[in-house]
Amino acid sequence: MSAFIYSVTLQWKLDLRNKGILIVYYIVPLIFFALMGTVFTSINPMAKDTLIQSMSIFAITMAAIIGAPTPLVELYGSEIKKAYKVGNIPLWMAAVSNFISAFVNIFIVSLIIFVVAPIAFGAKLPSNLGLYFATLIILIIASLMIGTALGLFVKSISKLTMISQIIFLPALLLSGIMFPANMLPKSMVYVGKLFPSSHAMGIMTNSAPEVSAFLPLIVIIFLLLVINIYKLSKMKIE
Amino acid sequence: MKLAISIKKLTKKYGNTTVLKEIDLEVKQGEIFALLGSNGAGKTTMLECIEGIRKYDSGEISVLGFSPESHEMRKVAGVQLQSTSLPANINAKEALTLFCKWQKVPVRLELLDIFGLKGCLNKQYKAMSTGQKRKLHLVLAVASNPKVIFLDEPTAGLDVEGRAALHNEIRRLKQGGMTVIMASHDMAEVEALCDRIAIIIEGKLAFIGTPAEMTFVGNNNSKISIKIANGLSKKDFKWSTFLSEENGYSIYSTTSISDSLLELLEYVKELKNEVLDLKIDRPTLEERFIEMMKGGKE
Repeated sequence: MSAFIYSVTLQWKLDLRNKGILIVYYIVPLIFFALMGTVFTSINPMAKDTLIQSMSIFAITMAAIIGAPTPLVELYGSEIKKAYKVGNIPLWMAAVSNFISAFVNIFIVSLIIFVVAPIAFGAKLPSNLGLYFATLIILIIASLMIGTALGLFVKSISKLTMISQIIFLPALLLSGIMFPANMLPKSMVYVGKLFPSSHAMGIMTNSAPEVSAFLPLIVIIFLLLVINIYKLSKMKIE
Repeated sequence: MKLAISIKKLTKKYGNTTVLKEIDLEVKQGEIFALLGSNGAGKTTMLECIEGIRKYDSGEISVLGFSPESHEMRKVAGVQLQSTSLPANINAKEALTLFCKWQKVPVRLELLDIFGLKGCLNKQYKAMSTGQKRKLHLVLAVASNPKVIFLDEPTAGLDVEGRAALHNEIRRLKQGGMTVIMASHDMAEVEALCDRIAIIIEGKLAFIGTPAEMTFVGNNNSKISIKIANGLSKKDFKWSTFLSEENGYSIYSTTSISDSLLELLEYVKELKNEVLDLKIDRPTLEERFIEMMKGGKE
């Protein structure tokens, strides 16, 4: 247990030392939040009703899909995994500690947005705080599952940059955080349903969603969990 | 002496290419043993098979009685890989702590001092020099106080000072009873450090023995330099081929030192001349190695 806790806290420290990670986890989402908070709320005062939800979803999607896979590709796509193997460090440990560290970082950014938005931009607090935070946590987990899968399957940082963008952009544009999803062509709405962000936006902006609304997120989490565990179990050193 | 490593009929293939062909090898406990061979000879593959990070096609490997893939083997063996890395932002202290915690051994920070890394305690891996990284990986390999340690080209990329320091550390590990198995290209290093060596050529063991035995078995490069009061003629003899004349010495190459000496001294006696000086230069390990690589397998 001591080794596990040390690995997680070490990953947290390493993430904070990594400028690239800090930019994707904190700096870009918060700058975007500041800009959009200023612009959206001036153009359309109604944006204040969903500013916290939309900016949190942006921060989560960006950090989990663009940021979180990077340390994994650097490790699993390099000789580091050999060093871990001979040092008796289980290979799953890197994925788990990265997941936990990323979760904490992303949750902190979401809290910053939650606290600052009403003060700085007069944003409206979610009507059901319990539901909001439950959805937030589920969304972070689902998004990090995607990020972890990217980190396990993609072999190089250059490929990761491209693939992450291919997933990140539609996840963002089709989620309904920039404009209402019902304004999109029907086919695009269906494509949007592939991403956790669309479902989360639907739940977070609905004061009394049905329990079944969570089902797609749970399915995404479960499916990716199975795929990630399978990939880790088949990972070779050679 | 008990065996640290026993290998029987080890065979490893990459696709249709057989890189290790039925290798039999034994390494005794407390030995410093080197695997030598040209690039692609199979040294690293063989080490990685013994270390348990590469699967092999057939044969048996035992490290202190344990299979290379076993959890027990990880507890008794330390490994410094030829090509390895650590997360860019981790520092030496954190790396050592991480490895020690997973190996369930006390964190021995004094090792960083012993291996000359005291100044790197908080230095990030990406900022370390090649030598410092090598030393750090050696520290990680010995941190669990293993009984056997595998070093794959441990001094590659090190400066003279770093090399000497690392050699001292390897000797110190041997004095502590550790068995050291290393792959190296550096003949001087091997000659200075190792008790025994094995030479791999095209996936087969071409020689096993001490470095001295290795130089004794081949006479092709032995040279006899003889200085005579009135000088010798530049002729060839049955066992001695005239090479050159330097500083008054006539230099001959020979395939048999004893026969060559006998015929040269006989000739000097016939001339009623006098031997002023005589030198025998056996081939160095490097010369013997090159000779073997060129096809003079024993």
